Amino acid sequence: MTPPPAMSVAAMMRPPTQAPESPANRDLLAVMGRPSLYYWLLLIFLVVFVHAVGAVWLFQVYKGLGIAGYKHPVFWGVYIVTFVFWVGIAHAGTLISAILYLFRSKWRNAINRSAEAMTVFAVLTAAQFLGIHVGRIWKSYFILPYPNQRGLWVNFKSPLVWDTFAISTYATISILFLFVGLIPDIAIARDRSTGWRRLLYTALSFGWVGTAKQWKAFNRAVLHLSGLATPLVLSVHSVVSWDFAMSIVPTWHSTIFAPYFVAGAIFSGFAMVLTVMIPVRRIFALEAYITEYHLENMARFILLTSLIVGYSYGMEFFMAWYSGSEFERSAWWYRAFGDYWISAWVMISCNAIFPNILWFKWARTNVTILFIVSVLVNIGMWFERYVIIVIGLSHEFNPDVWNHYLPSLPELTILAGSFAFFAMFFVIFIKLFPVVAIAEVKELVIHEKAHHGGGAVAHGEMH
Amino acid sequence: MSSLPVLPVRRVALPAALFLLLFGLVLGLPEGRAVSAQQKSSDAAFEAQRRAADPSAPGPVQPIPFSHALHAGTYQIPCLYCHTGTDRSRMAGVPSVEVCMGCHAQFGGDLEGVKLLKQYWENKKPIEWVQIHRLPEHVKFRHNRHIQAGVACDTCHGPVERLDKLYLVPDTKWVNLMNADKLKMGWCLTCHWQNNVSVDCLTCHY
Amino acid sequence: MPELDRREFLKLVGVGAGAAAAAGCSERVEHLIPYVVQPEVMTPGIAIYYASTCRECPAACGLHVRTREGRPVKLEGNPEHPVSKGSLCARGQVSIGRTYHPDRYTTPMSRGADGKLAPVSWEEAIRTLADKLRQGAAGAALLGGDPGPTASQVLDRWVAAVGASGRVVYEPFAQESLREAVKTLFGVESEPVFDLSQADLVLSFGSDFMETGPSPNEHMRQLAEARDVRAKEHGGARFVYLGPRLSMTASNADEWIPSKPGTEGILALAVLRAAMDSGLTADRTALGGLLDGVDAARAAARTGVDAKTIQRLGAAVARAKSLVALPPTAGLSSRRASATAAAVLLLDHAAGAVARTVLLPAETERTKRPSYHELLALVDAMKSGKVSVLLVHDANPVHSMPPGTGFREALAKVPFLVSFAPIKDETSEQAHLVLPDLTPLESWGDASPRPGVRSLLQPTIRPLYGTRAMVDVLLEAGRSLGDEVAAKLPPGNMRSILETAWAGEDFRKALARGGSFAASLPTHEHVALSSAVAKLEVSEPLLEGEGDYVLLAHPSPLLGDGRSAALPWMQEVPDPVTKVTWNSWVELSHATARRLGVEIGDVLALKTAAGTLEVQAFPRGGIRDDVVAVAVGQGHTVGWYASHEMEGRPGEARGVNVIAALPAAVDEAGGRAWFTTKVQLAKTGRSEPFAVSQTQDNQRDRSIGAALPLAALAAGAAAPAEAVPAAPEHGARGGEESAYQEEIHVPFDPVLDAAQNSPYRWGMTIDVDRCTGCSACVAACYIENNSPIVGEDQVRWGRLMAWLRIERWVGDGVVEDIPGWPRERNHEELGKVDIRHTPMMCQQCGAAPCEPVCPVFATYHNPEGLNGMVYNRCIGTRYCSNNCPYKVRRFNWYDFSLENWPKPLHLMLNPDVTVRAQGVMEKCTYCTQRIEIARQPAKDQKRLIRDGEVITACAQACPTQAITFGNLKDPESNVSKKRQEPVRGYVALQGLNTRPATLYLAKVVRGPVEG
Repeated sequence: MTPPPAMSVAAMMRPPTQAPESPANRDLLAVMGRPSLYYWLLLIFLVVFVHAVGAVWLFQVYKGLGIAGYKHPVFWGVYIVTFVFWVGIAHAGTLISAILYLFRSKWRNAINRSAEAMTVFAVLTAAQFLGIHVGRIWKSYFILPYPNQRGLWVNFKSPLVWDTFAISTYATISILFLFVGLIPDIAIARDRSTGWRRLLYTALSFGWVGTAKQWKAFNRAVLHLSGLATPLVLSVHSVVSWDFAMSIVPTWHSTIFAPYFVAGAIFSGFAMVLTVMIPVRRIFALEAYITEYHLENMARFILLTSLIVGYSYGMEFFMAWYSGSEFERSAWWYRAFGDYWISAWVMISCNAIFPNILWFKWARTNVTILFIVSVLVNIGMWFERYVIIVIGLSHEFNPDVWNHYLPSLPELTILAGSFAFFAMFFVIFIKLFPVVAIAEVKELVIHEKAHHGGGAVAHGEMH
Repeated sequence: MSSLPVLPVRRVALPAALFLLLFGLVLGLPEGRAVSAQQKSSDAAFEAQRRAADPSAPGPVQPIPFSHALHAGTYQIPCLYCHTGTDRSRMAGVPSVEVCMGCHAQFGGDLEGVKLLKQYWENKKPIEWVQIHRLPEHVKFRHNRHIQAGVACDTCHGPVERLDKLYLVPDTKWVNLMNADKLKMGWCLTCHWQNNVSVDCLTCHY
Repeated sequence: MPELDRREFLKLVGVGAGAAAAAGCSERVEHLIPYVVQPEVMTPGIAIYYASTCRECPAACGLHVRTREGRPVKLEGNPEHPVSKGSLCARGQVSIGRTYHPDRYTTPMSRGADGKLAPVSWEEAIRTLADKLRQGAAGAALLGGDPGPTASQVLDRWVAAVGASGRVVYEPFAQESLREAVKTLFGVESEPVFDLSQADLVLSFGSDFMETGPSPNEHMRQLAEARDVRAKEHGGARFVYLGPRLSMTASNADEWIPSKPGTEGILALAVLRAAMDSGLTADRTALGGLLDGVDAARAAARTGVDAKTIQRLGAAVARAKSLVALPPTAGLSSRRASATAAAVLLLDHAAGAVARTVLLPAETERTKRPSYHELLALVDAMKSGKVSVLLVHDANPVHSMPPGTGFREALAKVPFLVSFAPIKDETSEQAHLVLPDLTPLESWGDASPRPGVRSLLQPTIRPLYGTRAMVDVLLEAGRSLGDEVAAKLPPGNMRSILETAWAGEDFRKALARGGSFAASLPTHEHVALSSAVAKLEVSEPLLEGEGDYVLLAHPSPLLGDGRSAALPWMQEVPDPVTKVTWNSWVELSHATARRLGVEIGDVLALKTAAGTLEVQAFPRGGIRDDVVAVAVGQGHTVGWYASHEMEGRPGEARGVNVIAALPAAVDEAGGRAWFTTKVQLAKTGRSEPFAVSQTQDNQRDRSIGAALPLAALAAGAAAPAEAVPAAPEHGARGGEESAYQEEIHVPFDPVLDAAQNSPYRWGMTIDVDRCTGCSACVAACYIENNSPIVGEDQVRWGRLMAWLRIERWVGDGVVEDIPGWPRERNHEELGKVDIRHTPMMCQQCGAAPCEPVCPVFATYHNPEGLNGMVYNRCIGTRYCSNNCPYKVRRFNWYDFSLENWPKPLHLMLNPDVTVRAQGVMEKCTYCTQRIEIARQPAKDQKRLIRDGEVITACAQACPTQAITFGNLKDPESNVSKKRQEPVRGYVALQGLNTRPATLYLAKVVRGPVEG
C-alpha cells in the first residue's frame, strides 16, 4: 500500500486551487485541451457511422436474421465471433488495473487508465452483440431470472445464462474501477476548469480535495476493487469459453478452452491497449509518461500470452489426432485444409508466429514494430474466434448438412460499427477525462525519484 | 368489424315499451295479459336488451343486443343448450343463427334484437360477434377437457348469467408475488397447480 | 358434403385461419363467426374424414380427406382401398394444394379484343361455347386426360350428341406399348398388372416402377412385403435392376446391371435363353425361331452386360419359384418399346409368371384409353384447319408435346381453343375461353385403375370460387344447342349421373368406403402364346441425331409429367436421387464430366436434332458414360411456382423442359416413344450453383445409414433378442478411422427417459431396409405441420424448413483426408448399388444435447419422453441447433409464416399446429398435436391411448410402412415389438450416447443374385 504523497498532506492546509503547478498536471491536462478540427471531424464521423449501423440493425430486427449470412447448420456467425472478440479485448484492463496493482508493478500506472476505459467500452460493445444475435430481441428478457406471473424460471444449466451473469458482473465492476480511479484526477481537472466542465467535475469528484483521509479511503477502495476484480479476469472469459466447451460440437468440446480463452483474451487485450495507446501517446506527446519501458513490458506480456495461445493451438491438433475420433479428426483436418483454410492460417500466423519477433529487445523497443504486431494480433484474435465458431459448426457430426458460411454485408457492417462504437466512446473519453492517471503517475515520479531517479523523471523535468 | 349501426335503443325500444304498457291498460288488463302471453315480451326482456345495448356499460357493443342474463339467468337455459359441442371439441360452439331462430321464430318478435336476428336469418348472413374471451393463437385451450373435468363455465367466463352485456370480468391471481390477470398464463397455471393437473408445456403449446 | 354456402365457409375459414395465425399475441379485435346453419355432422374443432380418390396419376389411390370446419387440411391414404392400402405418395399428399392454389381461375375467362383473358359470367361463357358449337360442331374436338369411367362415358355421349369430330384421351406417360405387347403375345386386349408381393425374384428391365408406371405406391408396398426380412426367410425376394441409370427405383435394388439403354428386350431374350440352358422348362416350339442365335456372348456385345452376368441371371430365373420381370417404363420406352415389352413379358410367360404374378385383367367396361396416334391424327387435323373448336381438359399438351409434332403450330391454326384447366398453365393461357373446372377435392367423379376397382370422388369442400364441373358445363352447353341434342344427352348433372352409373351398388356405402372393390381381380385364365411371337423383332433402339451420348428423358418421381410442378412442395422437396430442388439438371457420369471439364453446376448445352437445352450439370457415378439424363416436368413458363413468377420474373421458365429437345417419335404400336435421340454436349462456360439439400453423400462411416450383410443377419437372428440395440456391423474396413465405433456405448432403455408415472414413452422405429426414398413422408410432414416454403434462393442457403428429410448415403462412406472437399461430390460407382435412404428427423433423445443449453427452457424434455419445443418461449439464441448432432432443427430466418403465402394457400394450414413466427426455432415433435387429439377420446373413456390410435404424418404416408410409431412403455405395441430386432437395430451417431427414442433398423445387403 503506497503512502499518500508527502506534499498532499501540506496540500490539506492550503486551498487546493493554489497547489503548485506540476509538469505532470500540465502535460496530462493538456490532452484535455481545446479539441482540434480533426478531432471534431473524427468524432462526427464516428457518431454518424454508429447511427447508420444502428439503422442496419433495426432493419435486421424488422426483416429477420435472414439478412445475415447464416447457412444451416452454421447458426452462430460473425455476431458471436465479435461478441467474444470484444469480451477478450476487455480483459487487459482488469488485468493491468487489478492484478498488476496487487503485484505492485508500478509501471502499470502509466497505462492503467486507458486500459480501464477500454475495458468498459469493450464490455459495452460486446454486450450489444448478445442482443444483435438473438432471433427475438423483443423477448430476450426471458433470459433474466426475474419473478414472473408465468411461473417460469431460466435454465441455470445453460452456459448462456452463466454468460449473462458473467458479462453484467464484469461490466459493473470495471465501470466502478474506472470511476473510482478517476476521482482524484477529476478533482485536479475540476480545479483547472471552468464552465460546464467545472460543474461536471465538481459533481463527479465527490468533493475530493486530496486529504490524507481521502487518500487512505481511495487506496483502500482501489485495493478492495482489485481484490474483487482479480478473479473476474479469470472467470469471465472462462465462462465465455464454456459457451463453447459445454457443447458437444467437435473442436468446441474441449477442456483446454478456459485457460486458452483467458490467455487469448489477455493477449488481445494488451494488443488493443498498444494499438490505442501508441497513437494517443504520439498525438498528445505523452512519451514522457508512457515510456518505451511501459511499451516493452506490454510487449513481454504479449509474447508470453502468444506462446500460451500457440501452445494451445498445437495441443488441440494433437488431441484431435490422439483421440482417434473420426469426428474430431475430420473437423480439424477441415479447419486447417478445408474451405476455410485462409482464416485458419491467418489465425495461426498472426497469433502464434508473428509475435515471436518480440523475443528481440530491438523489436520490443521499436514503436512501429510494436504497433504493427499489435494490429496483427487484433486481426488474428478476431479470426481465432471466427475459426473456432464458424468452422466448428459448418463441419459437425452429420455430413448431410455440411455447409460453407460466409459473412453477409449487413454482418460486416455491424462488425465495423462495433469498432466505431468503441472508438466513439474512447474519443469522447480522451477529451473529458485524463487519459493517464495523473495522481498515480505523480506517485510514480516521486517513487522513482526516491530510488534511482529514472528516465521518467528526467523527461518530467525537461517539460 | 361489425358494419351495423349502434342500436337506437333509447330512441325506439323505450317509447315502444311504454306505449305498449299504456295500450295494455287502455284495453283492460285481462285482454292485455292474454295478448302478452303469446305476443308481448316481458318488460324484463326489454330492460335486459336495453342494458345489453348500452354503450356506456363495460364490454364491446355486439351486433345484436343479446343479454346472457336474460337467457342464462332469467330463463335458466343451460350454457350447452346453445353452445353445443363445447363438451366434445377444443373450440367452444358459438350458436348458429339457426339455433337462435329455433326459439325466436315463436318468441320475442317484438324485440329490436330479435328483429335484427331475423334480418340475419333472412339474408342468410352470419352474425359477427366481437370476441371477448380470447387466448393467443399459440395457446391450444381445450374446452372439452375442462368441461369433462367439471370446471364451471364461469370460472373463466365470469358470472355470465348475471351479465346483460358481456365483458371480460377482471380477476387476478398471484404468482411469484406478481398478479396474473385473467386468461394470462399464470392465471391458468394457478388453477392447474391447485388441481394437480398437467403443467407440461406441450399440454397447451404446440 | 356439409351444406354451407361459400360465403359462410370463407368467413369460417377466417376463424380457422385466425386460430392458426403466427405465434405471438396481437391486440386486434377478433370476431367469432358462427354458421348460419350448422351442419349436423360438423362441430368446429373436430375433424371429419371423407373418402375420396387421388387424381394426380392414373394409379387412383384411395384418399381419406381430413377436413376441419368444412375445409380439407390433409390428405391421407384410405386403408380400405386396394391400391394404396392406407398410404399416399408425395404427389398425392401435396395435391391438396391444387384447391387452394393462387394460380386458380376464379371465374370463366374469355379472350377479349385486346387479346387478354378477361372474366365473364358463366351464362355468357357457356353461350359463347354453344355459339361456337352451333357454327360448326363437326369441327369440335375434345382433348384431355382420363376423367374416370363415368365422366368418360358422358363425354363420349356428348361428342356423339353435339356431333363433334371426336375425343382424344392423352396421358403423356401412358404405356400403350405394354398393351400392344400383350396383344402380340397372347392375342388378348389387356394391360398387365404386376403383383410383386408374391415374387421371390424381381427383374426390372429399365422399369422405374417406384417413380412412375401404373401404380408406384402399390408396387413399393408389394416389394417391401416380398422383401420383409422378418416374414420371409433368406431376406425375401431379390431385386435386380437392369438399366443405364441408378434411378430411385434402382437404388433400392440388390444388384444394378448398367445395361445399354434400349437393349432391355435383347437382354430379356438372352436371359430367357440362359434360363432355358440352365434348366427352365418352357416349350421352344411356341417361340418359333425367336431364340435362335440368341446367346449370352452375342447379347453381351449388344447390351454391354457381360455374358457371365447374363448366365447368372438366367440361372436365377430358372431357379426362381415366382418371378416378376417388368418391362421398361416411359423413360426407357424406345421406338422398339412394344417389342421390348413383349420380350420381357415373354420371359415372364416362360417362367410361368403370367396369371400368377403378372396378371392379365379381363376388361369389361370399355372406356376410352389414352392413344398417342389418335392425338397425332388430331394434330394433323388441326394443322389442316379441320378443327374449329378444341376443348382441352386436365392436360397441358403445349408443355408436354414434343416440338416435332408441331402441336404449337397446329394449335395456332385452331380458331377457338377452350380450356377447362382449374389452374392456369401454358395451354390454358393460350385459350380463347377458359371454363375453369373444379379441383378433384371439389368434384364428384369416379376412377377405375383396373377392373374390379371402382373408386369414388366426392366433394370435401364447397367450390372455393364460382367454378363448375367440366361435365356439367359441357352438358349445359350441349342442351342449349336444342332439344334433339338435349335428348341425346344424359339428364341431370355429374352427381346424379354418377349415382345412376353406380345404380348397381349401395352408393352411400360406397361413398363411405371410397368405392367398391372386388375381392379379386378378374383375369384372363390360361393365356397361350400366339403365333405372332415368332415374328417379334427385338433390336436396338433406333436413335435419331448424332452425338456421343444418348439423352434419357426420365419421369421425375415428384413432378410426374410436369403437372405437379405447380405445387410448391414438389419443387421444394428434394429430388430423391440428386437432392436438387426448384430446378432441372442433367445427370452425366464423372468420366463424361471430366472429359468435358465440367464441375457440378456448370451449364451445359444439350444439342439434339429437335432442339437445344441449356441446363446445369450434375456429375454422378450412378449413370453410364454414354448416357445423359434429364428429368421431365420442369421448364414451365406459366404459374406462380412452376415458373419464376414467384421471384418476380413471370414468363421465365424454371429449369428446362427436356421434351423440347425430344423428336416426335412413336413405337411400332404408335405409342409415344421417349428414349429416342442422341445428344451433343458443349460447355457454355456459365455456372450456377444448385439448391441442393444434401451436400455430402459420404457418411464417412458414421453409422447414420447402416447396413449389414444377410449372413450377419442370419447369424444374429439365431442369437436371443436384446433389448439394447447393438452397434450394427459395418463394411469390413475397421482400422482407426472407425475407431470411434468402439467407443464406450452406454446401453440404454429409452423407457427410462419418460417420467416414472407417465404411462407413455413415445418412440419410433425406422426401417432403412424398407425405405425407398420416395419422400412421401417429407411431403406429409410439410402439409401436417404447416412448414413454410422458402424458395430456391433460401434452399441454396440451406434454409429449407423441412422437419423431416431423407438422407441418401452411398455405402458406409470413405474417410477422406480433407473432408467434404470438393463439396457435393457424388460417391456412386457404376454397377454398384449400396444406397441407404435414411429418414432423419428429431430423434427425441433421452439425453438430448439441445435441452441443457437452452437458456429459457424453450426446448425441454416432457414427461412422455418427447423433446418439446415451445415456440412462444423461444428467443432464438440457436444454441440448441448448434448442439444437435443430427441437425434436424430449423430456424425462422424471416417471417416465413402465412403472411408470406399467396392467398388462398393459407386456408390449408392445419389449425392444430401453431404457425411459427420470425426468429424462433422449430422441429419435429412426433406430431404431438396428433397425440393430443388421440388423447381426448382416451381420457373421456378413462383409458390409455391404444396402440395405433396415434400415427404420425410420416408413418401414415409411408407406402412401405418403414416408419412405426407408438408407446414404448406398452410391450405389446407394434413399435416395441419392432425394437426387438436382434441385430439390425442401431441408433444414428451411436457413439454420442444421446439415447434417442428413434431406433433405426439397418439395411440388409442381400448381395447379387447367385448363379
